[in-house]
Amino acid sequence: MKKLKPEVAVGATLMALILIGIAVLTPWSSLNNGHIGIIMLCLIVVAMMMGFPSAFTLTGLGVLFSWLAYRSVDPNIAVRQTLDLAVQRAYGVMTSDVLIAVPLFLFMGYLVERANLIKKLFHAVHIATARIPGSLAVATLVTCAVFATATGIVGAVVTLMGLLAMPAMLRAGYDTKLTSGVIAAGGTLGILIPPSIMLIVYGATAGVSVVQLYAGAFFPGLLLAGIYIVYVMVLAKLKPQLAPPLAEEARHVPLPPHLAAVAQRHGRLALPALLRACVAGDAEIPRRVLCKELAIASLPLAAFVLIMGLTWNALTKPDETYDTTGLVEMGVTAEALDQKAEGGAPGIAEPPAEEAAPGIAEPPAAEGATAAEATPAPQKPAEAAPAASHGAKKTSRLPTPPAFWKVLWIGMAVLVVGYLLLNFPRLEVFRMLLTSFFPLALLILGVLGSIIFGLATPTEAAAIGALGGFVLAAFYLALEKPKEMRRRWWPAWAVLWGIFLFSIVWFILYRAQVVSTPLDRTVGTISMLAFLLWAVLAVHQVKLLPVLTESVFLTAKTSAMVCWLFVGASIYSAAFSLLGGHQVVENWVLSLDMSPTQFLILTQFIIFLLGWPLEWTEIIVIFMPIFVPLLSHYGIDPLFFGLLVALNLQTAFLSPPMAPSAFYLKGVAPPQVTLTQIFLGSMPFMALVIVSMVMLYIWPQIGLWLPAQFYK
Amino acid sequence: MQNFLLAVDRLSTFIGRFFAWAIVLLTLMVAWEVFSRYLLLNPHAWALDAQIMLYGILFMMAGAYALAHQAHVRGDILYASFSPRVQAAIDLILYGLFYFPSVLALTWAGWNFANESLAIRENTFSPEPLPLYPFKFVIPVAGALLMLQGVVEVLRCVICLRDNRWPPRSKDVEEIDVEELKAMVKDAPEVRE
Repeated sequence: MKKLKPEVAVGATLMALILIGIAVLTPWSSLNNGHIGIIMLCLIVVAMMMGFPSAFTLTGLGVLFSWLAYRSVDPNIAVRQTLDLAVQRAYGVMTSDVLIAVPLFLFMGYLVERANLIKKLFHAVHIATARIPGSLAVATLVTCAVFATATGIVGAVVTLMGLLAMPAMLRAGYDTKLTSGVIAAGGTLGILIPPSIMLIVYGATAGVSVVQLYAGAFFPGLLLAGIYIVYVMVLAKLKPQLAPPLAEEARHVPLPPHLAAVAQRHGRLALPALLRACVAGDAEIPRRVLCKELAIASLPLAAFVLIMGLTWNALTKPDETYDTTGLVEMGVTAEALDQKAEGGAPGIAEPPAEEAAPGIAEPPAAEGATAAEATPAPQKPAEAAPAASHGAKKTSRLPTPPAFWKVLWIGMAVLVVGYLLLNFPRLEVFRMLLTSFFPLALLILGVLGSIIFGLATPTEAAAIGALGGFVLAAFYLALEKPKEMRRRWWPAWAVLWGIFLFSIVWFILYRAQVVSTPLDRTVGTISMLAFLLWAVLAVHQVKLLPVLTESVFLTAKTSAMVCWLFVGASIYSAAFSLLGGHQVVENWVLSLDMSPTQFLILTQFIIFLLGWPLEWTEIIVIFMPIFVPLLSHYGIDPLFFGLLVALNLQTAFLSPPMAPSAFYLKGVAPPQVTLTQIFLGSMPFMALVIVSMVMLYIWPQIGLWLPAQFYK
Repeated sequence: MQNFLLAVDRLSTFIGRFFAWAIVLLTLMVAWEVFSRYLLLNPHAWALDAQIMLYGILFMMAGAYALAHQAHVRGDILYASFSPRVQAAIDLILYGLFYFPSVLALTWAGWNFANESLAIRENTFSPEPLPLYPFKFVIPVAGALLMLQGVVEVLRCVICLRDNRWPPRSKDVEEIDVEELKAMVKDAPEVRE
């Protein structure tokens, strides 16, 4: 006979308590609909723990109880009303313009996950952070945060990092508990940092704008990740035995032979050495290789010039009030940039401004040249930089704000210092990050930026993000194929991408008023078809079909799971309202006469407790419809509440007995790592989640500042 | 018997997978519309309606598929520690109590709902209307599929009650396929480009 497991004991006790509570507290003699509503609310927790698929538990309870509610009014038509209600609710979920983003984000996540770049990402981040205390743990956290944010699939991230980082950390002598806590907590960040599915689900349930939630959750998400990282670093500093510094050879960055040769012959600093080698030539290394390295080394400079150039263009253009720095970085979703430009362009909305400054609408060719040069030819930053400042002098535009020059000088100083520090090992680290960290970061920032800046709806951004995920997967999987094969593919790829990018660049120039004719429709259609053709070609050549098929099927299954849960929750909460349950809860809560703070603490504590047996989807779809209507009594912003809930639900993944992250990790951890160790390791991180919640409560601006910038 | 169960699984899976490709269509459609609206200055009034329909079809038709492969989330804190026989007993009761009433409601009332829409040839509310009634017929069709899959699941419960062992299911792609993820982490060659 095996011993009773603790989670069984906890669960069974909870169920028994609730059932006894119902039996004892219900006034059976004077039962009214409100009481039935409360019974329904208690029963759902019990029913959920029975292990039946939650979506159908909710639907079933909803249908049964709405029938009870209708029957109490008019038994003759109760069945018909119940049936109609169920269908109307299901149809409501089917036509939700918020939830439509869910399958698209899922699709993006599955594609990015299968692009198979987590190993490169971890390796690059690990090398880049090698010198700071607790470097492996920090690298794990960063990798988890970035990868989990891009994919949003907590289970996959925890499993992958359990396979990848855990052995490395244990080998390096890291404490088992710390190691497991870092991975379990880090992987969970994916549901918090936007773009995440959880915020869409909350938005759809609570009727809060997903756009504002995304803007709001950005800094709290970064804050939590930052707190995790600081905690690990401090711990490693105070107790080095838990996270020993890496051995010297593990910190060493292996240089490819040709770079080592350049370093030896042309100097230690990467940029001047490569410039010298490129101009003068090298005895052994072909110039093509050298120029490629030079192009990589000058990328930061090019990016800086491009960003400052576009910012300047935006700042000095009439009626352009905000800057575009955040958006310029998106290589993947260039459309969003264009939309940004449209948002800022005067257009039809404010024609007087254009009339007031007729000469300004058509900018002189000099600036056009600047933007045109900077965009397609990042390899020539040296020429582009002076051009940018010359353009500023002979402009007939608005005066450049002094802050711009300040930023420019500071940026240039940072660049100079950066290049003075850029030796060849650092260049190699930069290159590794460039091929792993930056594409993901750009994808995330592109999707998120276009949503927050209001250029695209979450749905549109998610679709573009899914295409971005596909492009990532295609390129990364292509890089794993033999070189000869790739050589044969590149020409066709380059032509098709060229046609596609032509349209994008044309559009950017049109929006920046450099060219006056809009993109020709035929040309535009052809370029879109070129992209499609490339996609088909890539699927065929790189053998992407299995990857695509798997992602498609998983997307369907997970969307069905989330959206059917919504169907169930929608019917359930309709029944709850019909029974007047909301009224009873409201009266009861108001009779407690709590202050807003007490109310917040109580609800967050309940959510925290619910996180033990239930998963975040269930908690949100069942309990948010109950809590959110109460918020107005206490003057609490549902957006702010949502951010607290989002942070709080991090613990739902980590708190025993029902801790998905811990279970995923246990599934792949070496056998000597016990579940108890994983739970104990997660505890400090759960405490840090609470710390972050307290911080958000004390300084709500962390979450509310960014939405206020755009939507007030 | 087992053949019948697996055949229904295959049917649900086939239909679910067929409509799963709607996500590719949806992605391309949204992207195309973004491109067309911003770059070609040529928006389409029907695009959003069509996108929403694709999304609705996608998840409704995948409901039975997800059920056949146990992808619906369960609160399995207690459930997982029960013997198969107890699990089957619980499932059997709850299929009768929760599942069939609600799925029946969807199928039956959904059929009327869609037919009413068909009777008036209902269109979307838009300057460029699309017919809405085919979309509404998705509800009864998805309901019928769920019903069929539900019968299969009940039969599985009965078999499990008899044998104290869950009858096998066909394999499908899993979100967390440890073997596959292992291969991903191990085989990824270090690439330099």
